[in-house]
Amino acid sequence: MMDHDEALRIVYDAIDVVNRQLPASKRLHKSPDTVIVGAGGSLDSLGIVTFVILLEEKVGEAFGTTVQLLDEQMLVEDSPFQSIGALTHYIATRAM
Amino acid sequence: MSRSERLYFIADFNVETLARYVANTTLADAETALAPPGPIMPALAAGPPGPDWSAVVWTRPETTIEAFRRALTCHEIDLDRALDEVRAYAAAIAQFAARARSVFVPIWVSPPFERGLGMLDYRPGIGQAQLLARMNLALADALRNHPSVFVLDAGRWFASAGSRGWSQKLWYATKSPFTSAVIEHAASDIGAALDGIAGRARRLVMLDLDNVLWGGVVGEVGWTGITLGGHDHVGEAFADFQRALKTLAARGVQLALVSRNDEATALEAIDRHPEMQLRRGDFAGWRINWEDKARNIADLLAELNLGSESAVFVDDSAIERARVRSAIPDVLVPEWPEDPARFREALGSLRCFDSPFLTGEDRTRTTMFAAERSRRSGLVAVASVEEWLESLDIRVTVEPLADGNLDRAAQLFNKTNQMNLATRRLSKPELEVWAAAPEHCLLTFRVCDRFGDSGLTGIVGLRFEGSEAHLVDFLLSCRVMGRHVEEAMLHVAVAQCRARRASTLRAEFRPTARNNPCLDFLRRSGLRAAAAAAENVFIWNASQPYERPRSVTVLDQTGVATALDP
Repeated sequence: MMDHDEALRIVYDAIDVVNRQLPASKRLHKSPDTVIVGAGGSLDSLGIVTFVILLEEKVGEAFGTTVQLLDEQMLVEDSPFQSIGALTHYIATRAM
Repeated sequence: MSRSERLYFIADFNVETLARYVANTTLADAETALAPPGPIMPALAAGPPGPDWSAVVWTRPETTIEAFRRALTCHEIDLDRALDEVRAYAAAIAQFAARARSVFVPIWVSPPFERGLGMLDYRPGIGQAQLLARMNLALADALRNHPSVFVLDAGRWFASAGSRGWSQKLWYATKSPFTSAVIEHAASDIGAALDGIAGRARRLVMLDLDNVLWGGVVGEVGWTGITLGGHDHVGEAFADFQRALKTLAARGVQLALVSRNDEATALEAIDRHPEMQLRRGDFAGWRINWEDKARNIADLLAELNLGSESAVFVDDSAIERARVRSAIPDVLVPEWPEDPARFREALGSLRCFDSPFLTGEDRTRTTMFAAERSRRSGLVAVASVEEWLESLDIRVTVEPLADGNLDRAAQLFNKTNQMNLATRRLSKPELEVWAAAPEHCLLTFRVCDRFGDSGLTGIVGLRFEGSEAHLVDFLLSCRVMGRHVEEAMLHVAVAQCRARRASTLRAEFRPTARNNPCLDFLRRSGLRAAAAAAENVFIWNASQPYERPRSVTVLDQTGVATALDP
């Protein structure tokens, strides 16, 4: 299991990269409540996929293994991608 | 004068991430547009959205060159056919470029996981890597005579991104094979290229001495005690950094020193240490004293006639960096590594020096500034500025625009800020077209004196309409300003008017944030202001010659100024 702070750092690193591709008004705030996928989110489909694959790479680099985050579960109602907080928790518990 | 860029993207993959990065980070005010999805050649044939658009044309080799696609599947390599296809592709890019401002073409790169034929991959006639290298060279060769087309070394973007530059997963999911790491390098290089074309490249690096050019504090250990060169990995790193700076100077970027030190002690180290790669003559100027560095930088910029947006400041002290950033925000102050082994890399990663040309003037700029220091020391020795100017034996050679001076003329057009009447920014092709019009006259001015050759440093552009001549362009490099070259250029401009029977020369000053020196000159030039309501318009009655300044000899290849108004 990954340390929560380490998971949060990885998520924020990925947000930094994706934010550089977004106009200032659409940039993701580094806050647990920020929505990634779903109503109120500012990423379009290209942005979401870019973010998730980037996150996969960063988690993989941190743990020296591959992880699969990009799947259809991203879009379900209680998806871990709904908010940064939920995503951080999901990564911290899933990355072994 | 800066202007917002317009950048059009043509690619055979989903290039939207790059367009977004450029528009939102690299060039925050840029307007971007993507070519409609589909084959490349029709998109090239359709041209850009308008003539003021630049473009990025980025393709993958296997979708652009059929012979390469076949080679990837281990079919026999047909080099001739591959190169024919490359030349056809280049011809389409060239036709597109004729309707665009500038075009950037990243070279073709193979994914790092494609090992081809392994040890045979660079064998001619067999290897895919060898074929790809030949294709890239053929592409660059075919585009070499199209000055607005720039073939970019995409290989460096992938090398910098490491093994994470390419993502098959991203390709399958988004039809973009390149990760954000590569996209960011690409966007930065494209931004640097656009900055260079627009004349926004930096031209001066100001350096601290202790623990930047050498290790240790020279004031404490003396020149024999500093760490530089020799059989020592730290000393080697400093010497190597100096060599990199010297190479930068050979590109036309000037070097200067801003250091808290005793001047005599520091200069002794520069002059006497056997491992110094940079000597006194390599620096356009210096301020070595105990004053505030921000003040020293401002003084040095004034001495060199450069704006703060032209300068980079390198210092190992975070406090000094913060001070300069705060006091002179336009000076670029990069974060600087503590480890000297990383200095060369830190310098090389700065993307602020890119220029679309490399001219003879660039290569000899350091020599020219050393000569300028000699001139200024002469100024102290003589009684008056006029006597000093006469002692310089200034000669101005007038030449029409020609193939031999086109590069430098276009560079001057896009870099000159201060003595610039209209600050028109024209690319080489645009300049050629303008100068070729029968109602236009474009003259270049080379300046030399007894200390050295300053090169092509002035341009006059005239447009003739009936009995009136318009001074469209009047620009002079800051390195020769204030030596009556400005008056000599007006002398030649008026002579051209008289030769073409224009009765009036009219100059309209277009203000920018930087060109006030031009307005100051016009006000003292003897030209009269047209009217109170048009205070930026100046007139000369061309029935009268404009007197040539006594301290300047005009060598006129057009034969007009010397024949009509000697």
